[in-house]
Amino acid sequence: MNGNGKMELPGLKEDVFNSLLEPELLQKCMMGCKKLEKIGENKYAADLSVGIAAVKGKYEATIQLEDVEFPNHYKIIVHGEGKPGFVNAEGVIDLSDLENEETLLEYTYTAEVGGKVASIGQRMLGGVAKLIISDFFKKAKKELQRREKTD
Amino acid sequence: MQHQQIGKALKRVEDPRLTSGEGTYIDDLNPIGNIHHVAILRSHHAHANIKEIRTEKAEKMKGVKGVVVGKDIAELTKPFPVGVSNPVKYYSLAINKVRFVGEPVAVVVAENRYLAEDAMDQIEVDYEPLPAVVDIEEAMAHDAPILHEEIGTNIANQRFFDYGKTEEAFEEADVVISHKFKFPKYSATPVETYGVIANYQESEGQYTVWSNFHGPFTLQSVMAAALNVSSNQLRLIVPKDVGGSYGIKSGVFPYIVLMSIVSRKIGVPVKWIEDRQEHLLASSSGTDRVTWIEAAVKNDGTVTALKMKMADNVGGYIRAPEPACLYRTHSNSTGAYRIPNLQMETIAVMTNKCPTGLIRGYGGQQLYFPLERMMQMIARKLNLDPAEVLNKNLIRKDEFPFETASGGIYDSGNYEKALKTALETVKYEEFKEKRQKAREEGKYLGIGLACIVEPSGSNMGYVTIALTPEERAKSLPKSGCAEGATVSIDPMGGIKVRISTVPTGQGHETVSAQIVAEVLGVKPETIKVIAEMDTATSPWSVASGSYSSRFGPIGSSAVFQAAQKVRTKLLRIAEHQLKVPIQNLKISNGKVVVQGHEEKQLSLKRLIGTAHWNPQDLPEGMEPGIHESAFYTVSTAKSPREDDTVNGSVTHGFVADAVTVEVDAETGNVKILDYVTVHDAGKLLNPLIVDGQILGGLAHGLGGAMYEELVYDKNGQLLSGSFMDYLCPTATEMPEITIKHQETLSPVTPLGAKGLGEGNTMSAPVVIANAVSDALQPLGITIDDLPLSPNKIWNKIQESKKNITALKEELT
Repeated sequence: MNGNGKMELPGLKEDVFNSLLEPELLQKCMMGCKKLEKIGENKYAADLSVGIAAVKGKYEATIQLEDVEFPNHYKIIVHGEGKPGFVNAEGVIDLSDLENEETLLEYTYTAEVGGKVASIGQRMLGGVAKLIISDFFKKAKKELQRREKTD
Repeated sequence: MQHQQIGKALKRVEDPRLTSGEGTYIDDLNPIGNIHHVAILRSHHAHANIKEIRTEKAEKMKGVKGVVVGKDIAELTKPFPVGVSNPVKYYSLAINKVRFVGEPVAVVVAENRYLAEDAMDQIEVDYEPLPAVVDIEEAMAHDAPILHEEIGTNIANQRFFDYGKTEEAFEEADVVISHKFKFPKYSATPVETYGVIANYQESEGQYTVWSNFHGPFTLQSVMAAALNVSSNQLRLIVPKDVGGSYGIKSGVFPYIVLMSIVSRKIGVPVKWIEDRQEHLLASSSGTDRVTWIEAAVKNDGTVTALKMKMADNVGGYIRAPEPACLYRTHSNSTGAYRIPNLQMETIAVMTNKCPTGLIRGYGGQQLYFPLERMMQMIARKLNLDPAEVLNKNLIRKDEFPFETASGGIYDSGNYEKALKTALETVKYEEFKEKRQKAREEGKYLGIGLACIVEPSGSNMGYVTIALTPEERAKSLPKSGCAEGATVSIDPMGGIKVRISTVPTGQGHETVSAQIVAEVLGVKPETIKVIAEMDTATSPWSVASGSYSSRFGPIGSSAVFQAAQKVRTKLLRIAEHQLKVPIQNLKISNGKVVVQGHEEKQLSLKRLIGTAHWNPQDLPEGMEPGIHESAFYTVSTAKSPREDDTVNGSVTHGFVADAVTVEVDAETGNVKILDYVTVHDAGKLLNPLIVDGQILGGLAHGLGGAMYEELVYDKNGQLLSGSFMDYLCPTATEMPEITIKHQETLSPVTPLGAKGLGEGNTMSAPVVIANAVSDALQPLGITIDDLPLSPNKIWNKIQESKKNITALKEELT
């Protein structure tokens, strides 16, 4: 399963880059994220609670950043494991400047699942992944807008 | 033979209890106190090393008795034996490595299932994922991930066979046609899933297990070997009612061993009832198969030789009775045809999918899909009518008993007549005109035919064809199809029949009562048939159980033979008391009467009473009581010969199918207009049950043709793990079915009966594929894989339209 998308975010790309890697923002914007903490350089641990079709469950996830090129590019690798199975996902994010102090974010992702999520939730999975990812960026955009206003 | 009861469409004696909620299934049983419940933790990975399992958290939970993991199983059991020269180590729990999604990794025992499942969530397993392989051809490649390092290859069994003069026939052929076919992995989905109750009695070293296992009881020896006990230390009891199986419940055997050890390790009796997701994911299934088939053909449509290379996917572990799917139809590999030359290569491949085993039709659907598709392709290539090509090659009525190239002995048949009936019933010529008219209107109508031989009553010897003649020579030969039955009469005249055929819904109680009633001249409703199997007390043998449609030819014959023994004893008592020679006596209406002097008679009750109450009046030397067991086999079920010929089944029925379809080119949907099936299963013991069995088998075949598939992604993840995605035909998907019968008696069974109920499971996938191929002929579409989902057909139509457009552009 894979996909891609893009989105315009408020702020300079340096600021956007930094904001997107803040644990607080990540936790706030990630659907079903109950807990997220930085456990090392470019490494986070998270508790996720996601329902896919009839398969609801909790996943313990590690999130790792690779190929980090401030402020233009990074790769995010998510490995989640829980009762309903496992999720392995990889996203590549590229940022570029737009006019008016805005930033263009472009992303591609691939994801693989295993266990009950695959055997029961397969037909919903593509849609759910799309939803989770677009929801994340929508919320991130809102959050960035909110911060701009309060600044 | 003038029949009184046999052959009557008697209503099933089983039905009143089943339809009133009085059936006794495994989950209804509580045969022993202090039963605890288990949950099984299963692998999410298709292929991975197990680095560590942490169970402490789970073990500390309230109500939890304990957890069993792979190392316990490795200590307390041996790998299951399997009949190949290079076996792999298959245990009932994963040890150090998992090889398919759903493989059991740990077992939790708790006071109830809820607590067990909650505790299961607290077990932590560290996996090291490995690359997976799911495709047959990829698994055979030299650079494929290897599942079992100790054997260094994914090929578990491989043999080559050459019968007749195949190479010569190919040299002399006018046309050679070859094609590759893929048959999908699908399952059997009984309403009742697997269930096991196990109790280990330490003081006696005795395992007692209640399970809905139905044989083959060769697997009892496999289980005892894994448990490392003598066979009488593993007592298997099968409840009175089993909620369907269609073969798949033979695959409960690893769980019987697993639960036995769990009971032993934890020290309490345990009960496990499989849930539906576990069943689809990890119970068992049929094999998927790739077949490369090549036919040597004369211009008139006569097939002179076949070459087949077939590779079966047996999943993560080769386990008994595999690789039997490759060999169950070995002796009928040339189907219903007089094809004297045959070459075959058989390969069993292991991949990261669920291991396989019996399902209805076992091997038949995999064989006939390429064979009967080929017959239609031959007709198309030679511009002949498919019916003509079938007719040309069918075995003639006067050629029976017919010996096939690979050693099968077809006991009896009248194939041409059955095909003729099928063609007449479907109005073949009329439909061809309709099809022509439809094509002119841009509609896609098609007709498919299939003629298949339905083997029944497996010869235990055929499984050993997986070994070379030299390997076979190292152990004692195996043959036969032994089955037992007991008929007894108590002091007050109550007749009881004990069978070991382990019915799972086929009405054995009814038919056994009919047979014994006829032999003893009483009414069927006065007879009690006990179908509960108990390896400690039932009259059973190695081949016992319900599989390979063996009640018709074998089980019923054992019952008949035991009843005959009782009859003879009663007549001998009557002879002694009436002073009339036995040949002048007959039994009818509960009496023995003297022929020609009807007034001279004795009631059966009186004769039975003598045997129990007054043995002194029995003929000299006769034992008291009436309790006769009989064991039955058929002499044509011989062990394989040195030249690798073998007669794999004792009886061979015949099915001629004719199916008409309309394909909607806009949606790819296939609509079955008419399904005609003509059966010849010898003497029909109960026509009502027969038609029920045929319809059930056809529904399963329809599933294989159009709906059912265990779909895996490239990583070995099952994608159709619920009935949302694993589609089974229901009543609304069943088309109009016309069943016709002819009864060519079998000369090898006492009642002339053959097995049935699997025929259409074997024929439906290919006959529907033939009909769809015929319908889509104008688009140049050839069906070589299944199931025929609208999605698949639509894609084929788009592909073909694209090609046609490109071709047209090229021409202009």
